[in-house]
Amino acid sequence: MSGHRRTFGSHLVVAIAACGAFAPASRAQDGGASHVLLVTALSGEPRFAALFHAEAASIYDAAKTRWGVADSSLIYLAEDPAQDPARIRGRATREGIAAALGTLARRAAPGDVVLVMLIGHGSGEGAESRLNLPGPDASAADFSAWLRPLAGRLVVLVNAASASGDFLPVLTGPDRIIITATRSAMERNETAFAEQFTKGLTSEAGDADKDGRVTVLEAFTFARQGVARYYEGKSQLATEHAQLSGDSAVARTIAFGTASAPTDPRIAALYAERRSLENQVDQLRRRKGTMDSTAYEGELERLLLEIATRTAAIRAAEGRKP
Amino acid sequence: MIRARTALVAALLSGFPSPGAAQEPAALPQRARALAETGHLEEAERVARAGGAPLTVVLAEILRLRGRLASAESLFAEAARATLPGYRAAQAALAELSLERGDRAAALRRAGIVSAAYERDGGRWPAEDRTAAGRAYVVLGSDDPQAFRAALRAFDAAVAADPALSEPRIRLGDLFLDKYNAPDARTSYDEALRLAPNHPRALLGLAKLLAFDGSSAATAAARKSLAANPSLVPAHLLLGRLHLDAEEYDSAGAAARRALAVDSAAVSGWALLGAVAWLSGDSAGFARARDAAQRIQAKPVEFFREVAEAVARHRLYADAVRFGQEAVTLDSASPSALGGLGINELRLGRMEEGRAHLERAFARDPYNVWYKNTLDLLDEMRGFRTISTRRFRIVAPAKQSELLALYLGPLLEEAYDSLAARYEYRPTTPIRIELYDRHADFSVRTAGLTGIGALGVSFGNMLAMDSPSAREPGSFNWGSTAWHELTHAFTLGLSAHQVPRWVSEGLSVLEEHRARPGWGAGPSVEFLAAFKAGRLLPVSRLSEGFVRPSHPAELGFSYYEASLVCEMIERDRGRSALVAILKGYRDGLDTPGVLKSVLGMTAAEFDARFFAWLRERFAGPLAAIAPWDGKSPPGGEFVATLRSGRELLEQQRLDEAKAVLQRAAALFPEYAGAGAPELLLARVYLAKGDQRAAAAALSRHTARDESAWDANAEEARLRQAIGDAAGAAAALERMLWISPYQAEMHQRLASLAEQLRDYARALRERRAVVAMGPADPLEARYQLARALAQAGDVAAARREVLHVLETAPGFEKAQALLLELRKPSPEENRR
Repeated sequence: MSGHRRTFGSHLVVAIAACGAFAPASRAQDGGASHVLLVTALSGEPRFAALFHAEAASIYDAAKTRWGVADSSLIYLAEDPAQDPARIRGRATREGIAAALGTLARRAAPGDVVLVMLIGHGSGEGAESRLNLPGPDASAADFSAWLRPLAGRLVVLVNAASASGDFLPVLTGPDRIIITATRSAMERNETAFAEQFTKGLTSEAGDADKDGRVTVLEAFTFARQGVARYYEGKSQLATEHAQLSGDSAVARTIAFGTASAPTDPRIAALYAERRSLENQVDQLRRRKGTMDSTAYEGELERLLLEIATRTAAIRAAEGRKP
Repeated sequence: MIRARTALVAALLSGFPSPGAAQEPAALPQRARALAETGHLEEAERVARAGGAPLTVVLAEILRLRGRLASAESLFAEAARATLPGYRAAQAALAELSLERGDRAAALRRAGIVSAAYERDGGRWPAEDRTAAGRAYVVLGSDDPQAFRAALRAFDAAVAADPALSEPRIRLGDLFLDKYNAPDARTSYDEALRLAPNHPRALLGLAKLLAFDGSSAATAAARKSLAANPSLVPAHLLLGRLHLDAEEYDSAGAAARRALAVDSAAVSGWALLGAVAWLSGDSAGFARARDAAQRIQAKPVEFFREVAEAVARHRLYADAVRFGQEAVTLDSASPSALGGLGINELRLGRMEEGRAHLERAFARDPYNVWYKNTLDLLDEMRGFRTISTRRFRIVAPAKQSELLALYLGPLLEEAYDSLAARYEYRPTTPIRIELYDRHADFSVRTAGLTGIGALGVSFGNMLAMDSPSAREPGSFNWGSTAWHELTHAFTLGLSAHQVPRWVSEGLSVLEEHRARPGWGAGPSVEFLAAFKAGRLLPVSRLSEGFVRPSHPAELGFSYYEASLVCEMIERDRGRSALVAILKGYRDGLDTPGVLKSVLGMTAAEFDARFFAWLRERFAGPLAAIAPWDGKSPPGGEFVATLRSGRELLEQQRLDEAKAVLQRAAALFPEYAGAGAPELLLARVYLAKGDQRAAAAALSRHTARDESAWDANAEEARLRQAIGDAAGAAAALERMLWISPYQAEMHQRLASLAEQLRDYARALRERRAVVAMGPADPLEARYQLARALAQAGDVAAARREVLHVLETAPGFEKAQALLLELRKPSPEENRR
């Protein structure tokens, strides 16, 4: 809406705000490719194994078909690779994760976005907070070491496991958005966050401003509200409180979704006109408190009709319906 | 020493004093007291008089029990002055008498003498004196609530000083009960009864607890207490109040007179007589009772307070407020008067006045659980929202209010019109209905305490009920509950609140049945089996089933039976007979009088007619149900056939199961209880792949069971699968009245309604989704805009879509809708 978002081919959309840790504007201009690592950890029970896989598979499919992530940059490690050999590339062991992140570090160029999604159960606390894996667990300190080679890339790490809260202070750093399902290692009950975050990331419902793309912040907000609703529906006190570190303005601009840059200059012009009109709506809204309500509504409707007309023209030119 | 003493007291209170005890001077007080405790007041007085000065306090206590208050007070005063044995008890009694007389200043001064002494050296006092200190603190508690704590400590100290003494334990029980703390009261009375198993006042305490719990055993317990002491005035009064609750006015009056024969100065006795007179429409009798109370107490606060409480129990809340105001006028510092007034004002919906009076009561009596719970609830209700319709104020937790009002508003308006036409009466409006999302809150609003089992309550024009979220989906139907409670507003209003509970409940259930198919209670196997065994209450005693059911199922039976009585009257004599009955009560007739004047029958004739009709109405099922003793599960051909059908289904012998279950359904077509034949038949049809037949079987069930959540959900699914959009929508509509909280259900119903071009319903459903605070609010509002447009409200649709786009200008579907809405209409084009 504010015009910060930009699209780059069929890749994960990344636009860098002019503030915070994500300084180098060149990355945005280059258009970073995207890379995804999905880890479903030790399940403990068949129902968790099914749930974890459903969530990971949903993100996997969105990344592959809608976000345009290349197969070589899409790695899914699970407790039992036989569960879904078509999607799962290997076992979710400590070594497997280290190797996968090493692979992505080699593939990712500066400015690229790397999404790491951890789903499972956690334990421990502080730097020794752990994601429970087949074999030795992986600690927050391990991840800290494994992420180091990704410096200069934009890392979005989501630890949706229980007791994940202490990952956040350990992993927080420049060029990183860290999200945990819980606010501390003491919130150890099974979490609803992974399901809600997945839903937010992969469904239209997560797209709060209905611009056709889901940002990290939108998915996070959707998930947090969904978790609150989940506990309210069960008349229970929430036993998990998700948190996000990093620049929220940046989290607001990292978007997942398809949008290709138009090659037809006529269509590109329409896009530009529409962006300009959206900016005018934004400015009008800021003046709302100082304006007569009738005048405000009249001007708002005029601008929105202009935008709608441009969209209709774009869609007509692209040969698809809105 | 303690053991010996225990034996003596136990023997005395068992009515078997040890043969030599009376001859020993030291045992005389115990003997006199034991005689008094067992109701032998004349003999007790004789013994006490024979004991001379040392028995002055005992004599005074006996005279007090006999209502000779002046003589008692003079003897207490003499004992206090001369520090005769028991003089501290005399001082406490003097304080109590002053308080009862309404002389608060003297009461506090006299109680203060005892408490000051106790605080100086009470650690050395014997148990009896500690008990006296506790009594003094109870008096002081009328002015300083902290004194109640001191009272508890003093009674506890008395127990510690002499664990064999019953008196302080009974006093503890009374104090706990007075503060609505039933569990601690029970413990105290039980302990007292372990020491003296036949102690009349401990037995009375238990009877009061049973009455407090609404148990039918209360009457028997009160009688047991009276058997132990036929002169126990509070036991007569409790029995009288129990009769009054059961609308047995003659028996209630007789009990009051028996109490007054023992103690003509018992203001509570005059209050009971006054209440009986008021409820019977005997204004002269009421005036006589009031004047008698006034002769005893210049300011008979308790008289008015107790009458207020009694008439409130008969749903005369406006009268209760008037009596409460009288009480508060006489003593503006009485917490019980203030609290009673506040509670009844709240029942009339006078929220601010009620709250103010309760606040004042609670400031003076912060240990009263009812006041505390109610004030806590009122605080919580600050987060409630009121939504107004033409004739209703719907009050509900803010988060739910819009959703609930969306459905309840139109339903209540429809119900009002329907009931106004049927009863030719229009209650004053607005009518307030409160919905509580926690059953405990509803319970507090109704009875001051958690734990009542009802779903709703009507105080006339103030209704309260569980919101659908207060219980698990499938537990109840909130639409029928609201209709039921609103019916009370009509029947109470038309009868000037004189209608007996059973008639009012019967009419409410009858109106539920008329409102929607399947709403309201229906016949169960147990009900018919109990009828067959002669275990249903005759109409002439049906009130008992509501007030004090004799077994857990009787309350439910009574609701349904009462509805059948009303159904039969309407069937035989028409709707106007129901109106005439209510008017008969309004005009002061009792049930036999109403039956005679409206139906031309005696109560016995009506009982016979009703049972004959019942046999006729349920002839089929009755032939297939065995009489029920209420203990083992009911049996008979229907039960056996149903069981057999279920077993065949489990064995996948589908054709046999079908035949047997069809037979079961034919035996008792109205049965809609657990594992009903049609539910099992639906499973048979589904197993055979016949979705259409399964849907039809489920329809037959859902048309009889108002809270069949799963069956409706399955029916909706099947109807949609076979392309029956109208049937699916109807099933979803029924589900809404069981629980309206599933967003997906509203979305489905909206889509179906759109498909059926029922745009008004689609619009309601889109509004519901928005009201629920959905995960995707912009999509929900976009859908609402679409529905508004489809329903023909283009202006509102445009406003809605602009609102959506203001937040999300890039929302392409909404942009398209905006363009659509801006297109000129065909008429505009023609112009």
